[in-house]
Amino acid sequence: MNDNTGDSIRIMSEFADDPDMSELVREYVGMMPRRVDQMMDAFERNERDHLIRLAHQLKGSGGGYGFPILTDAAGKLEECLLELPSNDLGEVETQLQTLVDVCSNMAA
Amino acid sequence: MCAATWQRESRSSPSLSIYPLQQDENQTPMNQDQSNETEDKRHSVLVIDDSEDVHRLLQARLRQENIDLLAALDGRTGLAIAEQDSPSLILLDLDMPDMDGFEVLRQLKESSTSHDIPVIVLSGLHSPADKVVAFDLGAVDYITKPFDLMELRVRLRSALKMSDLIDMLARLAHVDGLTGLWNRAHFDDRWAASISENNRQGRPLSVALFDLDHFKSVNDTYGHPAGDAVLQVFSKLIRRECRASDIACRYGGEEFVLIMPDTTPEDGKLVCDRIRMELGALHWPAHPERKITVSIGVCGTEKGVAVTPQQWLEDTDKTLYRAKKGGRDQVIAIDVESGNLIEVAKAA
Repeated sequence: MNDNTGDSIRIMSEFADDPDMSELVREYVGMMPRRVDQMMDAFERNERDHLIRLAHQLKGSGGGYGFPILTDAAGKLEECLLELPSNDLGEVETQLQTLVDVCSNMAA
Repeated sequence: MCAATWQRESRSSPSLSIYPLQQDENQTPMNQDQSNETEDKRHSVLVIDDSEDVHRLLQARLRQENIDLLAALDGRTGLAIAEQDSPSLILLDLDMPDMDGFEVLRQLKESSTSHDIPVIVLSGLHSPADKVVAFDLGAVDYITKPFDLMELRVRLRSALKMSDLIDMLARLAHVDGLTGLWNRAHFDDRWAASISENNRQGRPLSVALFDLDHFKSVNDTYGHPAGDAVLQVFSKLIRRECRASDIACRYGGEEFVLIMPDTTPEDGKLVCDRIRMELGALHWPAHPERKITVSIGVCGTEKGVAVTPQQWLEDTDKTLYRAKKGGRDQVIAIDVESGNLIEVAKAA
């Protein structure tokens, strides 16, 4: 469920209205800035394996918290990283940026 | 166990009644309604996943289930918890750093402690090849992330139910149908293990063989239902005098055997004599004119001894034979190492 608010698109959890999940989703969304920092650090340090792990974890958890779009974006980044012929992370910059955009626009 | 403790744990009244079941590894179900065993049982489920987000999610999503969740963030920790806590089921991620889920699964299935714990793979790996390997390694189910909550719940319940049923069948295969005591096969399994433990720890151990006196004539005179009732009542009597750590078995026919860990032959004799006296005092509605008595041989040690299970049992059988030959309705106890007679207890 996306919600246009000015310049950015807020990405709402599918469980936004689930009272059992609202607190959990809020915590999950609250951790996204740190996840973005971790991914950007790994990218800048060219730490491919670390970036794969971070993407893999977001892929596994995103859908469970009601963000299938996060699972998709993280899955694409992970796939591209796994198929990289070299350690040049510059080739996945687009996929990383897409994932960072999703993380940055998520809302509880 | 000292005699005073035995006294404290025993009941003073010789009358028999249906008593609460003791839920202990060594105790038998004793005519319990087996169909209820799998209902309303609280399970522990170990989640092995390197993502804290997944742990939090499962904790919240499975709150309504009748389970306690244990958490491990890596494979090695998960293996240690599985060994220590023997959870009812394991939810296992495959793609983890250091030790991946395939290796964890392999080690779980190699360990005698965790071998039978059902494992459901909960993984972001979607390829058929990964699924085939996981099932080959012993997984009972495979759920892909992101998981659907309802699907996870029903698969979890189904795996737990199946596991409970398998446990129940395995347990029933070791229980004597008539008396509810453990059967001969269970005795054979546990007797050797009891002696190994005695050797290793040097602690007391005793075993008693019981033989109901002139039982054949009870069957011949009053019919098999009356004989069966004698066997059932005597089984309840043994159980009532048992501690949770004792292992009471029907050895065959009218013979019973009782393994008593941490029990010297002197203390074993006290327990058995109490059983003998209580049996002798019972009134039997089907044959009020006929009392039932039992002869008992006890063979034990105060310390660790190097005696084979077979030899120990043969010596106990010979002791029982002495009790029979000595006039029945008595207990004879000997030290298994020296063969010395400890005491004879019989009706005055």
